Amino acid sequence: MTLPKKSLREILPELDGLMILAMVLLFLLGLVSIYSASQGATRMGQYYALRQTIWGGLSLAAFLVTVRIGYEEIYRWSHFVYGAVALLLLTVLLVGYSAKGAQSWINLGFFRLQPAELGKIALAVVLSRVAVVHGPHDLRGLTICLAVTAGIALPVMLQPDLGTVIVYAVMTFAALHVARAPRKYLFSLVGLALISLPLGWTFMKEYQRQRLLVFLDPYVDPLGAGYNVIQSRIAVGSGGIWGKGFLEGTQSRLHFLPESHTDFVFSVFAEEFGFAGTVVVLFLYSLLIWRILSTALATKDIRAKVMVSMVACWVWFQLFEVMAMSVGLAPVTGIPMPLFSYGGSALLSVSVGLALVQSVHVASRKSYV
Amino acid sequence: MNREINRRVEMDFRLSLLRWGLLLTLLLLGGAIFSFQVFRFDRYLQLAVQNRLRTLQVPAQRGRLFDTHGAPLALNVRTFDLKGYPLYLRREGVLENLEGLLGRHGIPLDADQLAEAVDRQYWAPFRAVTVVSNLTLAQVAGLVTDPDFSPQLFPYPVWRRVYPAGPLAAHVVGYVGEISREELDARRDRGYQGGDLIGKMGIEAVYEERLRGKNGEEAIEVDARGRRLRRLDYRPQEAGEDLFLTLDLGAQRLAAEMLADRRGGIVALDVATGAVRVLYSSPSFDTNPLSWGMAPGEWQAIIEAPERPMMNRTIAGAYPPASTFKAVVALAALGEKVITPNTTIFCSRTFKLGNRTFHCLRAHGTENVVEALRDSCNVFFYQVGLRTGIDLLSSWASLLGMGRPTGIDLLGEASGNVAGPEWKMARFQESWYQGDTVNYSIGQGFLLATPLQMAVVYAAIANGGYRVMPFLDESSPPPKENLHIEEAVLRPVVKGLENVVATGTGRQAGTFGVSLAGKTGTAQNYHGADHAWFVGYGPRENPRYAVAVLVEAGEKGSATAAPIGGRLLAYLIDHDGDQSR
Repeated sequence: MTLPKKSLREILPELDGLMILAMVLLFLLGLVSIYSASQGATRMGQYYALRQTIWGGLSLAAFLVTVRIGYEEIYRWSHFVYGAVALLLLTVLLVGYSAKGAQSWINLGFFRLQPAELGKIALAVVLSRVAVVHGPHDLRGLTICLAVTAGIALPVMLQPDLGTVIVYAVMTFAALHVARAPRKYLFSLVGLALISLPLGWTFMKEYQRQRLLVFLDPYVDPLGAGYNVIQSRIAVGSGGIWGKGFLEGTQSRLHFLPESHTDFVFSVFAEEFGFAGTVVVLFLYSLLIWRILSTALATKDIRAKVMVSMVACWVWFQLFEVMAMSVGLAPVTGIPMPLFSYGGSALLSVSVGLALVQSVHVASRKSYV
Repeated sequence: MNREINRRVEMDFRLSLLRWGLLLTLLLLGGAIFSFQVFRFDRYLQLAVQNRLRTLQVPAQRGRLFDTHGAPLALNVRTFDLKGYPLYLRREGVLENLEGLLGRHGIPLDADQLAEAVDRQYWAPFRAVTVVSNLTLAQVAGLVTDPDFSPQLFPYPVWRRVYPAGPLAAHVVGYVGEISREELDARRDRGYQGGDLIGKMGIEAVYEERLRGKNGEEAIEVDARGRRLRRLDYRPQEAGEDLFLTLDLGAQRLAAEMLADRRGGIVALDVATGAVRVLYSSPSFDTNPLSWGMAPGEWQAIIEAPERPMMNRTIAGAYPPASTFKAVVALAALGEKVITPNTTIFCSRTFKLGNRTFHCLRAHGTENVVEALRDSCNVFFYQVGLRTGIDLLSSWASLLGMGRPTGIDLLGEASGNVAGPEWKMARFQESWYQGDTVNYSIGQGFLLATPLQMAVVYAAIANGGYRVMPFLDESSPPPKENLHIEEAVLRPVVKGLENVVATGTGRQAGTFGVSLAGKTGTAQNYHGADHAWFVGYGPRENPRYAVAVLVEAGEKGSATAAPIGGRLLAYLIDHDGDQSR
């Protein structure tokens, strides 16, 4: 197994080109939308777009480093990765910087880091390994798998960052599914989640309840949480087939659309580029997810199959949630649209996640040579 | 091996299932968005074009301020703002017409000023901005009944800040004013907007976050002419927190009367806690016109006045502490065992160091530390200071709280200066001479202290060696620090300070019917007449309050400052029981 390591120059031509293309295009479309949104929202010109570009550069570096190290080497260090992220999450609970009611940031001077995003990487690496070693075929294996998730999800739940916890849950479910957990376990878990919904209600903060109520009927509170949903719907709907054109979206430029460079960035995009733009974005994400899962099918390493499918579900769930939210088909959460929304930690971690997938791709090609 | 392959086949089956499942959901999502963007396009475009939603800020009632007995220091009164939407105000000719209308009603604002106000507060075209503020009910009635009054404008009730105590507590309470561009940039993520009021000075600035409350918001639907049709939603304002200050307005008034038109500062502290009872700086200024908005010219006049009324002399004025510092020298010398209470020094009115001669007021003869404090004998402290040495003197001064801000909850506190040789080298590139230590020992030379710092030093002598942190917000008394000064070190100093008032230079402080202790001082002023100091505490038996009085150009501490300090302490002690609200 210990073949001499490939240099970056040898690795680069072996990467999955289509996947890279989809990633780059999605990032660029996101950048265009962030620019448009921040022009309207804060009159800060290119401020957010510039920051996102810097984060893009950092993410590219992280991508290359991860690909160079290779996923097999990272598996060897997976326990340290898990421990480090868990430690960061605890740190954030103790000394974190809070924004919008949740304590989820670590201040790094110019930038702030959100360890919950790194948790997704740690979860993919560690859970995929654990799920293969202790397969979730019996209650013992299942418990061990769920405990791995809980170690990361609990501190995040306490921040509280419910949106990210749901992403972890989706990733865990994907891991159990691919690691051949019996159907009765999978159905029980879904059942359990449904039963615990009313229980979750009592644990929710007021603003979270409000968001759920508003999801059921946005006109309950048109100025508060419902305002966003109504205005976002108007933005998307008024985009029509071809959209209003770049920087012409009246909803965001006139400030009817709040949080327009983060939570509602897709609404800005859909207003300005219409259904045609929506189709392009959906196609790019479909391509991305298709290529990720192709990698999972191609590799012989069963740990990697589980890990890669977890990354696929991470990307899928977040894009689905944001796009559905923009037309009021899903409740408002703060989770970002992968590669597209403004937010450095999210961009960085999804880049590392996709770099792991690329590394699996490279390794699986190697075995045929 | 076979099992391994079976596992992989089963996994790949589940992976394909997942792949097609995910793609199907994305297809469905595309269909849903299609129905919004294509089927319902007309309806949403309609909604976007004629967004008839308008929003208004409902200003929060700022927290009120009271003195320790409940006397009001800052309140809010109802006035009216004339508001409008930028959607309308930015149309051609609107502001020019408005200029004419306002002119006819005696409000002199030209179109350029109005345009600037609109730009400053602009957030969104549909969010109302204030065009004219502070209108009385009569002015509003006159305006709205004018046939030229546009229905696009409307009066809106708001709160204005008033300061019933005015100049009496100006430096403590501070004032509010319209947020500046720099302040707005610094607080971008804390919900401030152009046109908001913000604390600019004093308590108003320090406790801005607690006082400001939370603005409410009103969403209304308007007709095509901009007239309000109905309220869609309403989030009430949340009033800010009311604060009770430790200040005693009665004592504050007495302090102001005694200083009258002299320049200076007076502080009084509770020696046990550091609660500030009096903090008055003279000359003062009226904060009311500042918070209502004044013309730039009037503002300039206040800033540039030669007597500098905006400067808070109690915390930002650094003066040589003069003889009031001798108590610190005595503590250092006794604490470091350089002298004992029985050590005596002979004063022949002069003290020679090399070829320099330092003077005393008169020939005191043989004196110990208690007598030297009473008579304020310079020669005694010259020699004791030299024996103790500059390093120990400055470290005791620091220990007692000099040379750095006391930490009071006000902005703009000066550090003063207790620095020794390193500081002099850095500042003047000169080494420290014995003569510098001699000057230092009687509180002159490079030594500087604020009245508040001296009050903290004397509070520590009065309370048995605790350094208090002065505070004004009654709800959060800060902790005090035990300096571990031995009783045997404090006792001679206390005795000396008691004798100062009983029979020494501070006799004039002791004529108000209560027994006090303290020290006078006369600080050299190279720009004019000397500054007069008195720092002391009382009652002697069970000290409750410490005061520091500084009168600029007051000439003699014993004649000018001591009676003020004595009378203020007597007032505080006599009114000690009046804690009821």
